Amino acid sequence: MPAVEYPRLEETLYHERLDNGLDVFVLPKPGFTKTFAVFATRFGSADNRFRLGDGREFAVPDGLAHFLEHKMFEEPDGDVFARFAANGASANAYTGFDQTVYLFSATRNVDRCLDILLDFVQNPYFTDANVEKEKGIIIQEIQMYRDNPDWRVYFGLLEALYHRHPVRIDIAGTPESVSSITKELLYECHRVFYHPSNMHLFVVGGVDPERTMETVRANQARKRFDPPAGLERLSADEPEDAKEPMRQATLAVAMPKCYVGFKEAGGNLSGERAIRRDLAARIVLDALFSRSSPVYQEMYDEHLVFDSFGAQFTSGPGYAFSAIGGDTRDPGEMVRRVTEAMERTAERGLDPDVFERIRRKKIGAHLRLWNSPEAVAGEFVRFRHRGGDLFRLVELYESLTLEEANGWLRAHVHPSRRAVSVMRGDAS
Amino acid sequence: MSLNAEPFVRGRSGRIRLHVLPTKKFKTYAVVLYAGVPLSEAEITRVALLPFVLGRGTASYPETLALREKLDAMYGAHFGYDVGKRGDHQVVQFRLDIIGDRFVSSDTPLLREALNLLGEVLTAPALEDGRLVARYVESEKKTVAQKLDAIINDKIRYAEKRCLEEMFRSEPYRLPALGRKEDLEGIDAASLHETYRRWLRIAAFDLYVVGDTSLEEVKSLVEGAFRLPDGPPGIYAPSLPRQAPPEPRTVEERLDVTQGKLNMGLRTPVTYAGPDYPALLVYNGLLGGFPHAKLFVNVREKASLAYYASSRLDGHKGVIMIQTGIEIANYGKTLGIIREQLEAMRRGDFSGDDLAKTKEMLANQLTALRDNPFDRIWFDFNASVAGVEHTAEELLAKIRAVTPDDVVRVAQTVGLDTVYFLRDRKEETVHARG
Repeated sequence: MPAVEYPRLEETLYHERLDNGLDVFVLPKPGFTKTFAVFATRFGSADNRFRLGDGREFAVPDGLAHFLEHKMFEEPDGDVFARFAANGASANAYTGFDQTVYLFSATRNVDRCLDILLDFVQNPYFTDANVEKEKGIIIQEIQMYRDNPDWRVYFGLLEALYHRHPVRIDIAGTPESVSSITKELLYECHRVFYHPSNMHLFVVGGVDPERTMETVRANQARKRFDPPAGLERLSADEPEDAKEPMRQATLAVAMPKCYVGFKEAGGNLSGERAIRRDLAARIVLDALFSRSSPVYQEMYDEHLVFDSFGAQFTSGPGYAFSAIGGDTRDPGEMVRRVTEAMERTAERGLDPDVFERIRRKKIGAHLRLWNSPEAVAGEFVRFRHRGGDLFRLVELYESLTLEEANGWLRAHVHPSRRAVSVMRGDAS
Repeated sequence: MSLNAEPFVRGRSGRIRLHVLPTKKFKTYAVVLYAGVPLSEAEITRVALLPFVLGRGTASYPETLALREKLDAMYGAHFGYDVGKRGDHQVVQFRLDIIGDRFVSSDTPLLREALNLLGEVLTAPALEDGRLVARYVESEKKTVAQKLDAIINDKIRYAEKRCLEEMFRSEPYRLPALGRKEDLEGIDAASLHETYRRWLRIAAFDLYVVGDTSLEEVKSLVEGAFRLPDGPPGIYAPSLPRQAPPEPRTVEERLDVTQGKLNMGLRTPVTYAGPDYPALLVYNGLLGGFPHAKLFVNVREKASLAYYASSRLDGHKGVIMIQTGIEIANYGKTLGIIREQLEAMRRGDFSGDDLAKTKEMLANQLTALRDNPFDRIWFDFNASVAGVEHTAEELLAKIRAVTPDDVVRVAQTVGLDTVYFLRDRKEETVHARG
C-alpha cells in the first residue's frame, strides 16, 4: 500500500483507491487512543441543479442534501446512533455548501465502527412515514437558526452578494422547501452523489494502517454499485457584481451586527491555484484585521468593534468571498473603516515585515492543527474536495510571495462587488 | 492501555501548584494557569475584569499591539483567557498553545518565552503611576459590558443563564462569571488595582504544562518569571448542594423569538466528590447525555418536537440542566414528555442495553481525553477543585461498576427545581390589541 512520508510534520499518510472508485486515506497517530473517521461526499447545499448521463435534469428543493444527511441515520433495524453507542463510539454528520461529512470517534472497536459507518452511509432506507417525521425535526432546526443573529447576518451577506449562485441559500432550506421533499428524490440523490467514486474516507488515530485498509477493502468488496450516473453539475450564471449593496434585518440583539464582504470575480479557480489564492487572502485579511493589526486596535479602542470582530475568506466551486465584521455600535462607520483599510493597503501594498510575521503565525497555527485528529480529518477532506493537499500547506505558505498577496488584494477590492449585511435590535 | 501511563508530576513554586505532564506525543506545549477565588458579590465584576486588563499589556510590552505582535512572532502562539465558575468559585483561566521547538527554527526556546510572557501578564502588568493603566481599564469595562449584553443574542445560552439565575436567586452562584453590568461603572484603575493586589494574595493558583519538558524545567522557568507574594497555595472549599423544593417553580419570559426555549433546572445533593458521582454520570447519560438517551429519543426521534433535547451535568454544583428548542404551542406536550422521562428514571425504567451503551459512551469520552492536552488538564483540574484524587481510569472503573439500583438511588435524589420557558411576544400583542 503506497505511503507518503512528511518528515517536517512527522506524519505518514497511506492512500489507496479501491476498484469502485473510493479513495481511502489512513493517517496513523502512534500513541493516540482515539480514532476518528470521516466519510465525505461531494454533495452539499449548492449542488442543487445537475444533469445525469441519461439526459435527465434535476433542480432539487432547497435543503435536500441536509435532509438526506439527517435521514441516513435511520436504518430498518433502528437508529444508527445506538449501534455506535453499543461500541462506545459517538457519531455525527454535517452538511456544507459543497460536501456532506459523516464521522465517528471511537477508542475501541474501530473495525466494527468502520463497518457501521460505511454500511449506514451506503444503505439508504427511506419510507413515506420516516421522511414525514423528519420534517418536524428539521423545521425546528431551521427555526433555531432563524433566531440566531450570527447565522442570519452571515446569510444576509451571501444573499446580498450573490444573485443566483446557490451558496446564497440556507443549507437547511426553508420550512416550505423541506416540506416538498419526497423519498423518491432522496433515493435518486443518494444513488447519484453517494457513489463511491464521489466520496472519500479518511481515518486518523491509533490504528494500524494495513489492518484498517483491509477492513475497508473487505467491506466494499461485499457491495455492488451501479456504474457512476454520469453526473454533471449545472452552474448558475452568476454576474460579477454584487446583487445589492446592503441587506438589513431585525432580531432581538443587544447591539447591531454587521458584515461587509467582497465577492471574487471569475471565482472558479480550482486545485492548487485556488488554495494559493485562499492562503494569500487569509494572510492579507489577518494582517489587516486580526487582533495584532493597527486597524483592529484603533476600532477597538474607540469601542467601534469588540473581540467578536473578525475576517474570513470562504471559497468553493463558483464562489469566493470575504466577510469582515462582528458586533459594532455603528455599522456604517465600521464598513467605512474596513473598506478604507482595504483600499489603502491595495494601493500601497502590505509592509514586507508584516507579511513575514503573519506568514509565520499562519504556519505555526497550521502546525498546531496536527495535534487534533478531528481538525486534521475535517480539513483534509475539505482540501481534497477542492483538489488540494492539506499536507503541502506549509510548503505553499512558504512559497507565497508578497506580490501574490498584494495582487490578490488589488483584484479583490472592487466597489461594485461589495455588499453589507446588518442585523439590528428590534426597534419595538 | 493504562490511562495514567503519563501521570502529572506535581510540584510547587511559592503559591503556585505546578502540574507537569512530560510527553513527546503532541506537537505543542499546552499551558494553562487557573486562578480561583470564592464567589463574592462584592468582587465578582472586578475579578472578571482583571484578565481583560492584564491581557492588554505587560511591563516589557506595555502597548497592546506590541504584545500581540510578540505572540505572532512566537509562531502564532495562541494566548487566551476566560472566566468561569467551578462550584462556588470564580476561576480565571489563562491559556497558551505553542508549537514545539522541534517543528520550527526559533532563537529562544518557545516554552521559556511563553512562561516568561505568562508570568509578566499575571505578575508584572503594564502600570502607570504605580497602578493598572487607566485607559486599559476603561476600555475593557466596555468590552465586558458588551459581552454581558451579548448573552441575549444567543437564545440557547440566554435561556440557560436565566434558568440558573432563577434557580439560585438567593445565592452568589446566580451571578454570571463575568459579573454584573451595573457594577462596572463604579470601577476605576485605583479600585481595580486594589482588587488585583488582593487577588494575587488570596487566589489558588494552579499551573499546568503538557509537552516535551519536565517538572524541573518548568519550576526553574516559573521561578524566573512569576513574582507572587509568598505564602501557602490557596484552596478550593467544597460547595454545599441543596435539595429541590417539593414543587418546581415556573418562570415564563417573552422576547422576539421564533422558537421557544424550554430549560428545566434540576438539583441533586450528589456532587463530584461524593461516592455516588459515577452513578450520577450514568444517570445524566441515560437521561439526556447522548443520542440514545431518553430525551433525544422521546422528544426528538419519537415525537418530532425538537432538533435538540439534552441534559448537562454540573458535578461541582449538583445541577442538571435540561434544554430543548420547540414550537411554542408544543410547550405543554414537551414538558409532559420530559417529566415522564424523569419519572421513568426514578422507576428504574431503562433497559440493560441502554445502561451498557451509556457506560460505553462515558468510557469513550474519558479514554479520548488522553489525546488532547487541554482535555487532560481540564479533567485533572476539575478533580483537584473537588478535592478528589482520581485519574480518568479510576473514575471509569467506578462507572463500569454502577448497577441499575445505583442509578435509581441517584434518580430519587434528583428533583425538578425550576421550569423556564422563553417564548414569543405574539399572544401578548393579541391581548394588547384585543
